[in-house]
Amino acid sequence: MISARLAWRNICLHRKKSLIIGLIMGFGILILFVGNSLIDTTISGLRRMFVEGYTGDLMVTGPTEFSTTVLGETAGSEEVLPHIAQIKKYEDFLEARQDVASILPILSGQVSFGIGEEELGSGYCFGVNIFDYRAFFPDNLTLVSGEWPEESDEPWVLLSEPTYALLQQSSDIEVKPGTKIIMTALANSAGTVIREVSVKGIIKFNQSNAQLSGITLVDADTMRDLLGFASLRDGAPQLSEHEAAFLTDFDPDSLFDNLFASQTITTEGEGQSELGLEPSQLDIPEDPGQEISQASSTTTVIAEIVPAWQFLLIRAKNGSNTSKLLDDLEAFSEELGDGDRVQDWIAGAGKVARTAVTIRLVFDLLVAVIAVVVVMIMMNVLVISVNERLHEIGTLRAIGAKRHVVRSMILYETTFMVLIAGAVGLILGYILLLIMGKVGIRAPNLFFEALFGGEILRPLISIGAAGRAFFWVLAMALVASWYPTRVAVRIEPVVAMRGD
Amino acid sequence: MSDIIIELDAVQKVYFLDTVEVEAIRDISLEIHSGDFVSIAGPSGSGKTTILNLIGCVDKPTSGTVIVNGQRTSDLDDDRLTELRHRSIGFIFQTFNLIPVLNIRENVELPLLLDGLSENETRAEREKWVDFLIDSVGLKDRMLHKPAELSGGQRQRVAIARALVMKPAIVLADEPTANLDSATGESILRLMRKMNETFGTTFIFSTHDPDIVEEADHIIRLKDGIIVEDRRIDEDRDDKLGFRPSVRATSPEATGTGLTGTKATGTEGSQA
Repeated sequence: MISARLAWRNICLHRKKSLIIGLIMGFGILILFVGNSLIDTTISGLRRMFVEGYTGDLMVTGPTEFSTTVLGETAGSEEVLPHIAQIKKYEDFLEARQDVASILPILSGQVSFGIGEEELGSGYCFGVNIFDYRAFFPDNLTLVSGEWPEESDEPWVLLSEPTYALLQQSSDIEVKPGTKIIMTALANSAGTVIREVSVKGIIKFNQSNAQLSGITLVDADTMRDLLGFASLRDGAPQLSEHEAAFLTDFDPDSLFDNLFASQTITTEGEGQSELGLEPSQLDIPEDPGQEISQASSTTTVIAEIVPAWQFLLIRAKNGSNTSKLLDDLEAFSEELGDGDRVQDWIAGAGKVARTAVTIRLVFDLLVAVIAVVVVMIMMNVLVISVNERLHEIGTLRAIGAKRHVVRSMILYETTFMVLIAGAVGLILGYILLLIMGKVGIRAPNLFFEALFGGEILRPLISIGAAGRAFFWVLAMALVASWYPTRVAVRIEPVVAMRGD
Repeated sequence: MSDIIIELDAVQKVYFLDTVEVEAIRDISLEIHSGDFVSIAGPSGSGKTTILNLIGCVDKPTSGTVIVNGQRTSDLDDDRLTELRHRSIGFIFQTFNLIPVLNIRENVELPLLLDGLSENETRAEREKWVDFLIDSVGLKDRMLHKPAELSGGQRQRVAIARALVMKPAIVLADEPTANLDSATGESILRLMRKMNETFGTTFIFSTHDPDIVEEADHIIRLKDGIIVEDRRIDEDRDDKLGFRPSVRATSPEATGTGLTGTKATGTEGSQA
């Protein structure tokens, strides 16, 4: 341990140089610790908010060239996100896995709200099965007024507080549970779709920001209609007497004067039959596996109705490897060949989370650039220090110190300085974070408010950030000491024989 | 006659100063016996330090053979040369070369600290040996001082104790008195002689001081890189070395404690 003793004594003897290097290291650790803690707080807050409230850990979306946020926003496209054609296969795949806790299909898009003929505002809307949704996000939804929808309910909507406030302010009619409102959306192929729904209640998202708090929940079939997936509703279409009568009297062949072959419609098990069905026969059972076949005069095609869903949200089990799940899911999606997209919560969260991650990358990049400069400064100071001790190191070599003793001495010096400077930097950083935690950092604008997950960011003290800061600086110091160490171990013992 | 501990055969050393070739020594052949007290004399630039460097294994010859303690130095790699220096050679430098961050005791102990404890050695024995050496060079009361707090003569005494701590076969001293006043220089030389006689260690010192040269019992004179005189004066050294009787009077046998040591005095001052 003579190397360690010599290193320590040299640090004490050359106080000024040690102080310069120590200050650089300490300040570096302080900046890294505080900076990483702020970013960690932001990202973990965003992660918790999105994963536990909106996106799950991973999601599958319908085929799209670019990633899509859970609000249905796709870069460079105004189109409605297509549905996942083979969602059943994804569900089967995911249900068979040990690392998946739960899955939830949803629909998402932007709709306009109105009462009567008056359009009052617009907002984001999720089309969901409310029982599944509440089970998937058990802690994020609070019913402010009204009641939760029942399965047998007519088309319903759970208005978010901001949407409710907007409607209330803009309308003469008091909006309350039971009020009928009009929802309008521009679907890809279906043009403008208008649906009347009944307000079932007012909801509040427990973890949200300005954008997310405005999400309204609507029953999935209404949302399918609004998004242009009317033919892919959940279960069989419920026809009114008038609709059934229309179908009963309808003869498509008469439209084309026998130019085309006649068409038949049949229910499973009944085989092929003529189109002219009794209304009772058109009341197709609610079994989702029910099949409608279309057939020419010579062939019958059996098609299974699979309700349209644009997103399949996935919650991984605690401690499971979501990266592996993502990879496996991507491979599975590739196998299916529909061009569906598999993405993580960051893509699902959109620009807020991407910005936070980008800030981290920029911060790391900045740290890397500064690290290079700091390494150069430290390296220079250490080389000067070694050159000032040529005689001493030469003497050590002459009296029998092997090169590794000299190497250890320099490395010990660096390590001791990192330990001391690191301790000081971490303590100061800890104090600074405590103060920031008490006082809070106020978001200067709405964007930062979204980023902070509220008006004020109270940074958490992150052990991980402290560890990363320490190891960053240790790595920098060791890199900085590489060249001086090389210079030191090359000092020949003959140097000792020369005068001072 | 005792065993040959150092042998140089047709040794040449050439230095390159930029593009200029400087032949520091040429065709040097000599033998030094175990237990010799050898002076290498000559004016500045005559090659004294070059020969000490070659014997001390801190440099290698351009041509010729250097054998130290039975080992041909040109056959050894850096680690083995270091090992040879560590085990067999002690160094006393003109500028003392004590480690400034260590106190006197630690400086003396330093070569021992480069090794772990050997199997048949305890820490207590090692500490006793270090204390004994410090006492022998008369610095017992300065043991915890830093080198900067000592005079030149005292520092050189520390260097002598450090050179002997590994019980080496050879001690090399490069101009050990050059930075000291004459009285201090004489006391240092006396101390070296005492150690030479007490431990049987071969002492080789370089000097350009004619008075000091004559204190040795083997004198090698150099001029312009070649040996001009290689003289052993075993038989008549008592007549030549005026201070020798006093050294002998303080020999371990006379005191019964191994070594009495020459006490450091306040009059010793550094001229460095």
